[in-house]
Parts: sequence; structure tokens; C-alpha cells
Amino acid sequence: MSAATASTASRTRPRRRLRGGGGGGERTAPYVFLAPFVLLFIGFLVVPIGLAIWNSLHTVRRSGLGFGSASETVFTGLSNYTEALTDAEFLAGLGRVLLYGVVQVPVMLALALTLALLFDSAAVRFKRFLQLSVFLPYAVPAVVAALLWGFLYQPQVSPVVDVLRSLGADPDFLAPGTVLWSIANVTVWSVTGVNMIIIFSALQTVPRDIYEAARIDGAGEFRTALRIKIPMVAPAIILTALFSVIGTLQLFNEPMVMRSVTSNVSSEYTPNMMIFSTTTQGGNINLGSAMAILLGLVTFALSVAVSVASNRRGGKR
Amino acid sequence: MARLTSATTRAGHPSRRYAGVTAVVAAAALALAACGSDDDDEGQAAAGDSGPVTLEFWGWVPDVEAAVEEWNQANPDIQVNFTRMTGDDGDKIPSAVDAGTGPDIAQMSQHQLPDYVINERVIDISEYVADAEDLFTESSWAAVEFADAIYGLPQDSGPAAMMYRTDIFDEHGIEVPATWDEYVEAGRKLQQADPDVYIGQFSPNEMGLWYQDMVQAGGSWFGIDGDSWTVSINDEAGRQVADKWQTLVDEELVKTVQMWTPEYWADINNGNIATITYAAWFPALLKENAADLTGQWAVAPGPVFEGSDAAGDTGGAVTAVMAGAEHPEAASAFITWLNSSEEGVDHLVTGGGIFPAAKIGLENEELVQPDEYFGGQEILEVYKEAALRVPGDNQEGPGYQLIQNDLLDGFAQVANGSTTFSEVLDEAQENTVQRLSDQGLSVK
Repeated sequence: MSAATASTASRTRPRRRLRGGGGGGERTAPYVFLAPFVLLFIGFLVVPIGLAIWNSLHTVRRSGLGFGSASETVFTGLSNYTEALTDAEFLAGLGRVLLYGVVQVPVMLALALTLALLFDSAAVRFKRFLQLSVFLPYAVPAVVAALLWGFLYQPQVSPVVDVLRSLGADPDFLAPGTVLWSIANVTVWSVTGVNMIIIFSALQTVPRDIYEAARIDGAGEFRTALRIKIPMVAPAIILTALFSVIGTLQLFNEPMVMRSVTSNVSSEYTPNMMIFSTTTQGGNINLGSAMAILLGLVTFALSVAVSVASNRRGGKR
Repeated sequence: MARLTSATTRAGHPSRRYAGVTAVVAAAALALAACGSDDDDEGQAAAGDSGPVTLEFWGWVPDVEAAVEEWNQANPDIQVNFTRMTGDDGDKIPSAVDAGTGPDIAQMSQHQLPDYVINERVIDISEYVADAEDLFTESSWAAVEFADAIYGLPQDSGPAAMMYRTDIFDEHGIEVPATWDEYVEAGRKLQQADPDVYIGQFSPNEMGLWYQDMVQAGGSWFGIDGDSWTVSINDEAGRQVADKWQTLVDEELVKTVQMWTPEYWADINNGNIATITYAAWFPALLKENAADLTGQWAVAPGPVFEGSDAAGDTGGAVTAVMAGAEHPEAASAFITWLNSSEEGVDHLVTGGGIFPAAKIGLENEELVQPDEYFGGQEILEVYKEAALRVPGDNQEGPGYQLIQNDLLDGFAQVANGSTTFSEVLDEAQENTVQRLSDQGLSVK
């Protein structure tokens, strides 16, 4: 960003001289334009994070019954962090979303990539209509999507279960072992479309003459896709992977809604749900803040890992 | 915070943009809220010495606006401004009170009151409502009194009774069970006669079903002993309830189903569930969701544990005066009128459809109307009788919602056969004691 600002400045300088001087107006202009972003960024990201860190290092101490003005907030160092890290439920929740991510992200990206490649090839008819159909679930809010799928998962009201039963299967989408994948199915349905669009638009930027060269070299559609298209859109795939990983760790809406149709999603099913139950329901903002910071660190670490992996890949090329 | 993060739950980068929009909207809302509260403060400051006082009141009882209207006309000096709470609005009261922009009076579940007390978000109004105790049923009053201080007034209660399918009982020659033993026996008979018909339901997502039994068994999760809390989730009463449910679940006499789901109402409408023992507010929901079963239900007193004639209760709502209220005396006067005067309670019962906590409410004519859905029975008579048999020694305590999470998460595992009710109680007991001690509270 600083490079961009510098080049703008160097371009404006001669013009200013021509006009015969001029105040600091143009010099301050970038800051004025940046101000709304910076203010909101500070107000809604930096300050809350700072507050969360402060909260996570303190604990509210009460005494007796806790009635009257008997409470005080004391500095307790990392004790909230140790408590979070030794909480079996918190770690289980973290493990659960990681397991979920390991399966859901590749499946969803493979689907999105395949669809993008199909739409990019000449083979598909009614392209606009089909593209819209794949994208449309993204326009359905996550909570509504989870509610809709919740209906389809309940044996007595679900046409899907009816059909499967008539075929001799007896699926239980809400059993303890399957409900995580039923939730994954909802998110795959919801977000495949938007990731498909991102990859598809990356495909549009690939110069067509490369395909022509490949065709002259004797590469078929499949080979072109595998050897040319996928490597060319790798940055887009990595970008979508990065956002998907972040989304995975923050899983909240879908399992929260699924809780209303099955008890096999516990109140502390994902880290974000545990933070919700600790703070909003349990009133322990300090422990909840420590958990939120830990979750943020894990997300940060994974994001760095994904981008490092992508850079290394780029370096080889 | 949870809401903001939930906006980014979806993968894919456009959610970022939504988060930005959310931030802008939130900023605007904050700015507006700030303006609003300034106005309020000016209004109240001006009214400080003389002239009318304005009270902000948040609640959710249907049609309570009519009660507020009547009060405002009769009391020009104490004007009440009502704001209806919907959805998760209750979650924002703590933040609003902490920020100094909260209401003067708020309605809340009685289970939540202790947390408000501990966090100093409600105030002790004992000096203004000292004489109110006799106006309410014993069990409702127990919900607002802690260690000789009074932190609100009870509004409604949830005495339990048993709704049962007369046609199913007749068809299989089942007598209406008066005790839980007879209930289990009736369950066995029904299962033998028709494997699709269950005496009741086990809903691992519904706390009230357990809570009412615990109250009926004479239990209390909390107690106050001097300057210490006592926790007794897995005491004798808890075990009694656990044994009953364990038998019902082990022998598969009850249908395991999530309450309130379409699946649940399908079970009710298909006649798979023959009885529902639940609070006085439930019949209205039953009528709404199983309209085709008109005339096939009746209400009987809930079955009792052997040797007891106590009734269960799910707990009700209370109205409390919030910290930061500038006119606690006026606020207390209003909630006393609303919850215990003939006119106030009449609004709550007729317009709001609540089951009153005030004794005077039990005499309300609305409660003795024959109900077509229940074959013309005056069903609230049964609930009224139950209300007077609810034990009055149930003590509410801090951290109700987390106990609820512990128990319901455990019940889900019971449903899967991987643990027992008794073990779930032990674990909830241990966790609760731990949580209270972690906060520095004294636990005996």
C-alpha cells in the first residue's frame, strides 16, 4: 500500500508545481480518505482485541454468596489460558472443527474446482442458468440453510429419508457420529457456489492462446485442465482454501441451529459455541476472552501455514 | 460479539464485506443509541425534583401494553415506557445495564435472576415491597428472595399437570396414573398393546421437563447456608428423578424426541405420545400445534412420587428493578401494581395469557373457563390446585444456564446409551461446585 501511495504522490507533485504551489490539502487527502477505514478498524478490531487480551489476563474474584459489592477484578496472568488449554471440552471442540475442516474444505474445493472447470469448458449448456443455480445457495443465510436442512434430516418429516427408506436404507443424519458430516453437508451446499465463482473468474483471466498452444501440442480437454488450467488458477484455489479454513474454525451458526433438532450437537460443540456458552450464558468474560484469543492464534497460525505453503509452491515455479 | 463473529462463519470472502457493513451499521446504531440515552437522561434529570418520572420497562408478555396504558392514565407522575423484547433480547440486558443505557425495569426468567444479583445488575427493593410477600404463592416468592433481600417481584409461574389422550387411554383400558409408579406401569401396558404408543416423551433438549420433577421431588439445586452456597444437584431428590427417568428410558417406555421440532409435533399428532406432563403455559402451544386432536385430551394432576402430594413447577418470570434505575421506589410501585393488583394481574392473565404468580390472580375468572380443546374441561382448575402444592423451598442460584448445558449435554448421551442420568447429575454437581469456587464464591 505504501508503494502505491508513494507513486501517486510522485505523479501529483509536478502538477502541483504547475499550479503554482498549493497547501497541504493534497498531502492530507489520503489520510482523510483512509480515516473512515482506520477509525472503524481501530474501533471494531484493534480496541476489541486489546480489550479481549486485557480481559483474558484478569479474573473477577468474588467472595461469600457474591451479593453486595464484594467483587474485584484481579490480574491473574495466564491462568485463564491454562484453564482453557486444560479444558477437555475446548480441546475436543478444536479437534472437532479441525477434523471437520480436513474433510469439508477439500471436498468443497474439489467440487467448486470441478464445477468451475466444467463451466469454463465448452461442454456445458445452459451455462448461465446452471451457474446461477450453483451460486444461489450462497444467497440463503446460514441460519436459514441450516433450518432447511434440519427439516430434511428429521426422519418423520423428511422426504429424503422417506425415499432412502423405500430404497432399503435407514439413514440417521443426526446420530452422534454422523451429525458433524450433516453439518458439513450444509456448509458445502452453501459455499461451493461462491468458491466456484472465484475460481471460475480466475479461469477467465487465463490467456486463451495458451489453450491454443496446448491444443496444437496435442493436449485434450482433460489434460489441458489438469496441466494448464489448474496450475494457472492455483492462487485463487489457495485464496479460497484460506478463507474456508478460517470459516471452518469459526463454525457457529450451523451447529447452533442443528442443536434445535438434535441433542447430539452439545452446547460446547465448536470453540465458538464454547466461547458463547462461557461468556453470554455463563458470564465469564475473562475465560471466554482467553478462549477467543487462543482460537484467533490457531486461525492465524493456520492462515500463515496456508500462505507459506502457497509461496513455496510459487517459488518452485 | 458472538453475532459479529457469526457473520464470518461462512467460508468465502464476500462475508468480509458483510462484516464491514455490520460494523458500519453497528457504529450508526451506537451513535443513535447514544443520542437516545442522552434524551432520556435529560428527561429524568428534569423530572428529578418534581413533575412526572419516566420509567423504561422491557418485557415480553403479550398485550402488556394495555396494562401500561392503564397505569399511565392513573399515574400521571410515574409514566412507564414499554419496550417489547423479542428473540434473544434478554441477552443484551446485561450489556445495556453495564453501559448505563439499560431499562429501569426488566422481565427475566427467575432462573437468571441470581446472576443479575451477583453481577449487581438488579437492586434490592426490600424497603419498597416489604409487605408484598403475602400477595404471591409461596413457591413464586422463593424465586425473588435471597438472604433476606428482595430482588424483584414474581410475575408468573409454571405449575405442572398431566395432559393425557382420553381416546388412547380408553382404547387400551388405562387408568389415569396418580403416582409415577402407576405411570411407569401404564407405560408398560401401552407398549404391550401397541409398540408405537408411548406413555410420554424423553426430550434431551428440554430442561423444564427435568426441573419440574426436581421441584416436585422436593429438591433444590442451590441453598444458602450463612455466607455460603450449597449445591445439591445430585442429592436424594435428584436421584429419585434420575431413577424414574432411567426406568422409562431403559425400558423404552418413552419416545426419545427433541421437543419443539416438527418431528415432535408429528409424534404428538400421530398419537405416538399419550401424555405430556408440563407447565400451565403448555396447553396453549398444544392447541396451536395439534389442532386436529380437539376433544381428545384431558388434564389431570401430575403423577406424584410415592408418599408425596407435591406438584412440579418449571419456574416462571420475574420483573426486577435494574441497577442504575433512578427512581427505584416508583419502579417498585409499578411492578407491585402490575404483578399483584387485581387490575394489573387481570391484564396479565386475560391479555397476556400467563399463569399468575399472585394469589389474587388465581381467583381470576379467565382461569375457570371451560376449554373446548380439552372436551369442555376447566383445565386451569387443575393447574391452580397444583400451584398451591408446589414446594416453597426451591432456591435459585448462580450459573443456571451452564448447569442446563451440563445436564442437557449429558441427557443427549443418556439417549445414546453411553451414560446414565445418575452419572450426569454427578458430573453437573462437580462442574457447578468448580465454577462457583473458580469465581471465588464460597461453596459448602
